[in-house]
Amino acid sequence: MKRKAHYLKHFAIALLGSAFIMGSMETVYADKESIILAIGGENPEGYDPILGWGSYGNPLFQSTLLKRDADLKIVPDLAVDWSLSEDSLIWTVKIRADVAFSDGSPLTAEDVAFTFNTAASAGGLLDLSNLQKAEAPDDETIIFTLKTPDITFMQHFISLGIVPEKLYGPGYARNPIGSGPYKFVRWDEGQQMIVEANDRYYGDKAKIKKLVFLFSEENAALAAARAGEVDVLGIPSSFANQDIAGMKLHVVKSVDNRGLMFPLVPNTGKKTPDGLAIGNDVTSDPAIRKAVNYAINRQALVDGVLDGYGRPAYGVVDDMPWDNNKIRFHDNDPAKAIEILEKAGWVDANGDGIVEKNGRDAEFVILYNSKDILRQGLALTVSEMLKRVGIKAIPQGESWDRIKKELTHLHVVVYGFGDHSPLEMYKLYHTSGPEPLYWNAGFYSNPVVDGYLDQALLAKTFEDSIPYWQKAQWDGETGFAVSGDAAWAWLVNLDHTYFINKCLDVGQSQMEPHGHGWPITANINQWQWTCN
Amino acid sequence: MFVQLYRIHLNRRSRTLVTVISCLALFAAVFLGAWLYGENGEITNLQLRKLPPSWEQPFGTDWLGRDMFARTLKGLRISLMIGLSAATASAIIALILGLAAATLGKAVDTAVTWLIDVAIATPHLILLILIAFACGGGAKGVIIAVAASHWPVLTRIIRAEVLQLRSSAFIHLSAKLGRGPLWIAWHHMLPHLLPQFVIGLLLMFPHAILHAAALTFLGFGMSPHTPAIGVLLAESMRYLSMGLWWLAVAPGLTLIISVQAFDILGNSLRVLLDPKTCRE
Amino acid sequence: MPQSLFLKFLLQKSIKLLVLLGAVALLSFFLVSRSPIDPIDAYVGAAILKISPEQREVIADRWGLDKPPAERFFCWAGRLVRGDFGISTIYNEPVLSVIGKRFITSFWLMLLAWSFSGVLGFLLGIAAGAQEESLLDRVIRLYAFTMASTPTFWVGMVLLTIFSIELDWTPICCAWPPGMSAEETCFWQRLHHLLLPALTLSLIGVAQITLHTRGKMIEAMNSEYVIFARAQGDSTLGIVFRHAVRNAALPAITLQFASLGELFGGAVLAEQVFSYPGLGKTTVEAGIRGDVPLLLGIVIFSAIFVFFGNTLADIIYKYIDPRMRRMAGT
Repeated sequence: MKRKAHYLKHFAIALLGSAFIMGSMETVYADKESIILAIGGENPEGYDPILGWGSYGNPLFQSTLLKRDADLKIVPDLAVDWSLSEDSLIWTVKIRADVAFSDGSPLTAEDVAFTFNTAASAGGLLDLSNLQKAEAPDDETIIFTLKTPDITFMQHFISLGIVPEKLYGPGYARNPIGSGPYKFVRWDEGQQMIVEANDRYYGDKAKIKKLVFLFSEENAALAAARAGEVDVLGIPSSFANQDIAGMKLHVVKSVDNRGLMFPLVPNTGKKTPDGLAIGNDVTSDPAIRKAVNYAINRQALVDGVLDGYGRPAYGVVDDMPWDNNKIRFHDNDPAKAIEILEKAGWVDANGDGIVEKNGRDAEFVILYNSKDILRQGLALTVSEMLKRVGIKAIPQGESWDRIKKELTHLHVVVYGFGDHSPLEMYKLYHTSGPEPLYWNAGFYSNPVVDGYLDQALLAKTFEDSIPYWQKAQWDGETGFAVSGDAAWAWLVNLDHTYFINKCLDVGQSQMEPHGHGWPITANINQWQWTCN
Repeated sequence: MFVQLYRIHLNRRSRTLVTVISCLALFAAVFLGAWLYGENGEITNLQLRKLPPSWEQPFGTDWLGRDMFARTLKGLRISLMIGLSAATASAIIALILGLAAATLGKAVDTAVTWLIDVAIATPHLILLILIAFACGGGAKGVIIAVAASHWPVLTRIIRAEVLQLRSSAFIHLSAKLGRGPLWIAWHHMLPHLLPQFVIGLLLMFPHAILHAAALTFLGFGMSPHTPAIGVLLAESMRYLSMGLWWLAVAPGLTLIISVQAFDILGNSLRVLLDPKTCRE
Repeated sequence: MPQSLFLKFLLQKSIKLLVLLGAVALLSFFLVSRSPIDPIDAYVGAAILKISPEQREVIADRWGLDKPPAERFFCWAGRLVRGDFGISTIYNEPVLSVIGKRFITSFWLMLLAWSFSGVLGFLLGIAAGAQEESLLDRVIRLYAFTMASTPTFWVGMVLLTIFSIELDWTPICCAWPPGMSAEETCFWQRLHHLLLPALTLSLIGVAQITLHTRGKMIEAMNSEYVIFARAQGDSTLGIVFRHAVRNAALPAITLQFASLGELFGGAVLAEQVFSYPGLGKTTVEAGIRGDVPLLLGIVIFSAIFVFFGNTLADIIYKYIDPRMRRMAGT
């Protein structure tokens, strides 16, 4: 009996020992042939563009008709020519003739038409409800018919990857064959995805042959990077101030912004059709909104809450081609804020530190999404900053569902947006219907602004629409920016921070949209390994 | 002479009494401190961010410049309240159900066992979220949610204990002498169930606090900037890899010390009350 | 047991199981349909501005959300009896496929962790309770309470940092080396990847069993026949093994088998810290995002494991303590 135990013990030790030794013999090298990326990007639904994969730009496995270069200008990809009819309802697009899917079959206009028509009714993340139909009169031409004129429909040409009609079916999302620079190899859900360079790619063929995407949680990915096993790491800015051996910090500007949405109508007891209460008697006064904008020190927010990784935001589309830089102003001016308040009748008569008007205190709640620590930081610091001008802001964390179902039309909310398409501006500032959900939740309405926004959609080319987007912000007399109606208090634009292996050159990164991580792969076929 | 008196009176019983009083005094100090410090823990100060412990800020400052000592104190008060309420409620439910299952006959036992299986098989987080939401969120929602979802396992333990007790000699004797089931339960079974009951309660206390944090981050508890200990701990996770150890150590240690204090309290009370050991 | 009695026992248990499955499915469905979270909002996420109300209706239609709850539940139940678990709305593939992929990988990890934590917890509890207030007892108690009070994620990250980064003894993540496929890896590599997650889960999971066993052990050591045995000159170790252990096993058995459901459900901790696939996160996602087919599918299997575990425990009680055989109700 004792001997058996003795042997058992030795056997166990031998087993464990061998496991260590054998297991340690595996190593994962990052060489010219393959790199490991921990930037998220795992999509539970799979990699089907028809359901919305790649709508943040760059579907990797599939190609799109058009794309944006590093300066966000629209350049051709699959398409060689594109034009809009006189009535702005019909797009005619011609595509290249030499494109093949990674299995060898040719990509024709039929596939493009199929992709768009199927996506319109697929119930995924793409809203193609404005598409009447897409037709392919020949192998290289597609005709898109819209229901109403909308220049921003072009965004779908940039973000909808083309799928092969003959190979599309229910399992496509887990075996996404496309014509993009990389082809899908395998996906181990919850762990990793392996992709390989597509030899049949019609553009600049990728120099790095194999990519391994690691789907680890933030802290675990950081640990892996510290151990030298990750080549590209996407991390929040609060982790960026450190050194990781063998890696350099790569900071990318973005249009990812955060700001305060104000309810712009007073609370008269009205409700939306779904029964949500509307209105806030304090923020419906433009003086309060302007005072808030002037009182806040945006640079301090960037330095303190974003650890320096960001820049102040004065509008919703800062630094985009359709930004109107006349809307910039000097913030961090409490004296000016107090002056604006006084002129409008807000004074502190009873000495409690809060200004009042007609017996009502300048007090409101600032809601932030409980899961988001950055928004929490912004809400708390802004509250502190507003104290010095006599405004009492009470931060409160809630779930998105509660915000949406009960509170969004009543209180100030910290929202974040930022997109490569100006359609966002339309949705946020155009007069909305009776239930605007998250979009124009403050019920902002300015007929002059509406006019500019509508004309922007009717433009013949994207470049023609730009002046209208700019005028909607400020046309010299009115607009939704601070100089006009001050509908929002935009606070900061985030920088997206990455750590990249010192030997990897990722080229010039585009200004990224809302949501960091995957967008850095926009130019991935140009990445190269520089060490030997 | 004082030394002689000291030696005489310091038997196990006296020492235990001193321990009990010290623990209670500690908790009272926490509540008093939290009340005195008031709102100091809420003030953000972007100039004083991420400072290690010093004389002015004994527990350092956090990522928004708030004083960690004030936050921890306030958080401890909040968490003690939430943790104790939820744990006590849950443990009492477990005690009642466990006793009922094992003493009131086959039908009741089948029903309770079945209820336990249903409760354990239902996904935990969904149960918590829905109950917290239905009770309006906040601290109240958290307490009710945790209390209503954590009784199953302790119920099973107590049920097993009672099943074993039922078959012991002195219970049989009592029953034969004509004592009713309730009397037996109160006088004979409860003292023997107390150890497992107290352990279950003690374990549920930190568990409730950590769950309160999880619910808060999902948006169904309190506001995430409430400094409850669980919330402080979870927040500190982010900054540990950056070397800001004090953000985790202060709340972590306070939680462990609280749990230990309750454990010592529980043990001491048992020693004082258990007929076998109270005269040592 | 005679043939007919055994069959009767099996029949009774099967009926109980079916009733349980029905109840759990109903309760979970009820909870999810009353959930404050809108599945479409959860799906749409940050793209909220790009999705018009018309598109939301298309999504709702695709998932069958526009039908009334009772109809959806009976639809699901009807398909289930034919063996069709439905399609997950989150993963866009059959529920059985989603569950299967993850369960198969995590099962071995959970079995290892479950067994090890049970045995270790029991042994620690015995050691602590055998000599109350000794140094060993205090250390074990401190360890157990610390584990119970520390966020498990933190413990996982600390162990990962120590063993995988500083010492480089174990891999940094996953069930097999990144960049390789499951088929390419050999048994030793899989074992190597299993070690740290299993160790972590075990070290954390012992707290409950240790403390409950210790409590029972103390009681057993203070019981009359232990005093009697001591009076007769038995050594402490002899007493421990011959008298006390059997009695102290009761809460350990209860706890261990009550957690049999873990074998199916996986551990969110292992998935978060070690990226080891499992059903933990998936269950949470399914519940939070209202993925009814997937959630109910998971709940069905989970209930089977839980039922099995608790039934086993009841049977084992009778072997541990023969006196309990005379009890009604089990």
